[in-house]
Amino acid sequence: MGHDAHTIKNPGSLKPNPGLRTLFIVLAVIGLVATVAGISVDAKRGWSSLLLNHFYFMGLAIGGLFIAAIQFLTGAMWSAPIRRISESFTAYLPVVLLGFIAVGLGAHQIYEWTHPEVVKGDLILEHKAGYLNLTFFWIRNIIAIIVWIFFGVSMVGSSVAQDKDGAYSHTAKNKVRAPLFLALFALTFTMVSFDLLMSLDPHWFSTMFGVYCFAGSFYASLALTTVITVLLKRAGYLDGIVNDNHLHDLGKFMFAFTVFWAYIAFCQFMLIWYANLPEETMYFMHRMEGKWMYVTTFLLIGKFLVPFFGLLTRGAKRSEKRLLVVGCWMLFAQWIDLIWLIQPEFHKEGAVIGWIEVAPLLAFGGVFAFLVHRFLSNNTVVAIRDPKLEESVFHHHQ
Amino acid sequence: MATAAKVPDKGRIIMDKAQARPLAGVVGFFDGPAPLIEAVKKVRAANYESFDAYTPYPIHGLEKVQGLKRSPLPFVTLGAGLTGFMSAVMLQYGTSVISWPINVGGKPLWSWPAFVPIMFELTVLFAGLATVGAMFLINGFPNTKKRSFDPNVTRDRFAVMIDAPKLKTAEELEDMEAAEIARYEKKLAAFKKFEEQEALQFLKGLGAVEVKSVEERGWFE
Repeated sequence: MGHDAHTIKNPGSLKPNPGLRTLFIVLAVIGLVATVAGISVDAKRGWSSLLLNHFYFMGLAIGGLFIAAIQFLTGAMWSAPIRRISESFTAYLPVVLLGFIAVGLGAHQIYEWTHPEVVKGDLILEHKAGYLNLTFFWIRNIIAIIVWIFFGVSMVGSSVAQDKDGAYSHTAKNKVRAPLFLALFALTFTMVSFDLLMSLDPHWFSTMFGVYCFAGSFYASLALTTVITVLLKRAGYLDGIVNDNHLHDLGKFMFAFTVFWAYIAFCQFMLIWYANLPEETMYFMHRMEGKWMYVTTFLLIGKFLVPFFGLLTRGAKRSEKRLLVVGCWMLFAQWIDLIWLIQPEFHKEGAVIGWIEVAPLLAFGGVFAFLVHRFLSNNTVVAIRDPKLEESVFHHHQ
Repeated sequence: MATAAKVPDKGRIIMDKAQARPLAGVVGFFDGPAPLIEAVKKVRAANYESFDAYTPYPIHGLEKVQGLKRSPLPFVTLGAGLTGFMSAVMLQYGTSVISWPINVGGKPLWSWPAFVPIMFELTVLFAGLATVGAMFLINGFPNTKKRSFDPNVTRDRFAVMIDAPKLKTAEELEDMEAAEIARYEKKLAAFKKFEEQEALQFLKGLGAVEVKSVEERGWFE
């Protein structure tokens, strides 16, 4: 119904908020100092916490680009008002490269396959040495992250350029880039997950591991997109643009990928449990013995059942408050999931969460928040001249 | 023609038995979704006992304007899903633990991870079949007593139909208890009285491009 005099008020960018900016910088600096202190106090624990939080924010950033890419690929209309928010996470992608370099510097502390004396005489590790060696590790991971940065800069760059000139060619280009990126993303993200997390136990392998890490990262990216959407809506930026129907769609997305994560997690577990091969079952033995069983149980209840029932009803998916609470909970659950993936290799007795684990969270989190905030301060918070925006706001969603 | 004739002595609303086919209602056709939604708003405000809108594709927001309540279907899905889940638990516990306990690979008899796929599948199966079945029950399909008043409402026409109320015949009224009659009349009095000509004029006044009366006619008549 384009003939009606519909106008979308341009919400502009975030208003400057020097206090918030300073807070993010201070958090990042405190976190960085504490991270260095943590590494000097307990090198293994410090470096593994760095890895944990690097992977967490890497997943959020690349997950944001993934969300944007599938909207371009499918030509989605519903998501036009919220796509910019997930695009803003890509502002962090260059830091992913720095984060990886930091993890790489600590590789000797956390990856036993980097020690020649461990590899020597171990048939499995000798066999894997052609792939699991530091030179190839550095090369392939840096290439993967550069591919991500390339697509992040070009896709989000086009999306932002469209705010100024409104040309359809930007959307057309992104429709070509999106499938290319998604194909490369599937390969590179699997590889990065294998390298950073699966190789912590170099004897163990699961071909589903990449999908598992993707499911968790995408789950958290959706939750963060929803949380920021609700916060911006409450601050009045999205008046007359994002309505209950858009929130409903985000809620459905979160709900669906809660189930997807549980499905993947259980598939991986059940195949290994059923086959009962010693070299595979060790991974779950570590995680189901002693106090680690509490964390495993937490994942079943906290990462799956709580969001599942929390978002089951229609009313819940349309409620700002519910989406905010469940979204924050999902972000927490993903962090615990990474504890569950990483820590059993270092702490057999149970999870350890102290200042050493929180320090890199503040460091990476502060930088992430600062960069996303800066992105949304420099660009409009909505892709204001997206060709699908008007349809999404007025036509489909009455 | 005349649906609402009056019984001389009591002034009651009854159906004229002489009529071969009773009136199903009156229909107005509109130019597109926007005029249809405007018309539906006014038809609803006029407080007829029953009306419905017919469109070739779903129109978002129409159900709100029509004042339709939410369907109870999700509860059927939830209940059937839980039933399916419990059925799978009991079926597998009964067979694997109680009736035919067999040691498989040294695993416990109640090896729940192996049973999860069945629990999932039966949840989905029960929920899916029950949802489709309940949907047909709730929307009254198939109803061979009613036929489409114009096949083109599934192609390119947008229509509103004001249904004629189901009236009792004089004989039926005589057989009814006084309290029952009072209830029947109270129900009729709660809504705007349906008069065929008036309703046709009303739809025309709303901007209908065409109006017509529709007789009751089943699939095989």
